[in-house]
Amino acid sequence: MSFYSKSVTFGFSGLQKNSLPNQNLPQLYRFCFLMLGDAAKAQEVFESVMHDAALRAAQGELPKDRLWLFNDARWRCLEASESGLQPEPVEMEEHEIAATAPAQIAHLDPNQLAIWISAAPDPQRTALALFYLDEFDHEEVLALTELKTAELARLIANARQEFQAWLNATVPPEENLEH
Amino acid sequence: MKMPHLSKRQRTLVQCAPFNDERIGDRTMRAAVFRVKKTEEFSHQRAFDQALANLVQAIAIPNTVTEWLSKGTFVAAPRRTWRQVILNPVVLAIGIAVGVIAGIFVFKLLERLNEFPGEPTAKRLLTLASSTKPVLLDPVKTDAGALGDFFFMKHRLPHYDVPAEFADLKTLGCRVFDDEEGQQIAQIWLVEKKMQFFLFPADRDLKTGAVKHFTGWRYVDQDRWTGAVQEKNGVCFMAAVRGGENDLRKYLDKPKE
Repeated sequence: MSFYSKSVTFGFSGLQKNSLPNQNLPQLYRFCFLMLGDAAKAQEVFESVMHDAALRAAQGELPKDRLWLFNDARWRCLEASESGLQPEPVEMEEHEIAATAPAQIAHLDPNQLAIWISAAPDPQRTALALFYLDEFDHEEVLALTELKTAELARLIANARQEFQAWLNATVPPEENLEH
Repeated sequence: MKMPHLSKRQRTLVQCAPFNDERIGDRTMRAAVFRVKKTEEFSHQRAFDQALANLVQAIAIPNTVTEWLSKGTFVAAPRRTWRQVILNPVVLAIGIAVGVIAGIFVFKLLERLNEFPGEPTAKRLLTLASSTKPVLLDPVKTDAGALGDFFFMKHRLPHYDVPAEFADLKTLGCRVFDDEEGQQIAQIWLVEKKMQFFLFPADRDLKTGAVKHFTGWRYVDQDRWTGAVQEKNGVCFMAAVRGGENDLRKYLDKPKE
């Protein structure tokens, strides 16, 4: 005998409720958006993840893994991003992180950041999306990206410097200071 | 402040350390971050990460997403295994308490099942057996079975007979004395294993005066002595030996001739 309690809270009838901490659904959407860089596609993937979750819940087959929604969303995003225009692999310039970076970033639109992250190759893309989502701890990020600490550190450190270079090109520090 | 010297591992941990301290669960990572926290380079990294995270949080959430919020959560409750249930401190405490109570109950039950009329007297006599010296007894060297007639002839004690199981054992001495309740007790000292026999009146019903019978052999122990007691014709016979039940059982299991 197991002590398994069906644990899903739904607005519609016929399904049992639970009191587990909420999955942060807005964060799930943001994750999809960062992975795809396209609001419409992100919404589409988000909806498909949620519909699948609802189906599984109705059948009492919800996975026990707390991270499964994000894991599922990750693979769906990667699948969705395979269609359409693909970013060309280019050698990106790298700059040291500048003290002016926060001020430069403040001038950006979230869409620009999402486009930049979604253009990164995976698993760097997933790592960046999860890291800047500020939703998971280090171990959870490692689990979701299936990376080792050294690999994750290298991908994030490189991305910082590449982003700084892109930032310097997009929002030059001098221009930023004028504001 | 300049960046202190870090090991390769520490540098790696600092590079991928979450910018939100609450997300750093790993002690090694926390220690590495602590070492560089006041450096300029790390401050820039943190400020950079925090600014990007703020930008991520500024991503607008469509209405269709917020609608799902009312529909609930999508993680199954963790399946609790028997091991987890058993190791729960509350369950464990209740289990131990129930176990102790059940143990006491079983002990008392077994004790009650083994009780027999005359048990208090038998226990008292076992205490006596442990302190009796052979010099207190009249020397009589014969078969134990022959002493029944002796008790009847000399002390007018009918049915003070040694059962067949012990009748062949050789005696060293015997005596008859009144105990504190005024009952006449026969005590026999044997050669074998410093064994002693006691014969004493069986318990009687206080109202009717009828003998309280019981069948078979009953064991009783006191002060590291063990007695096997049998009641016959209103007289209890007890074979007492220093040791356990097994020391007596071999005589009782012996086939009768």
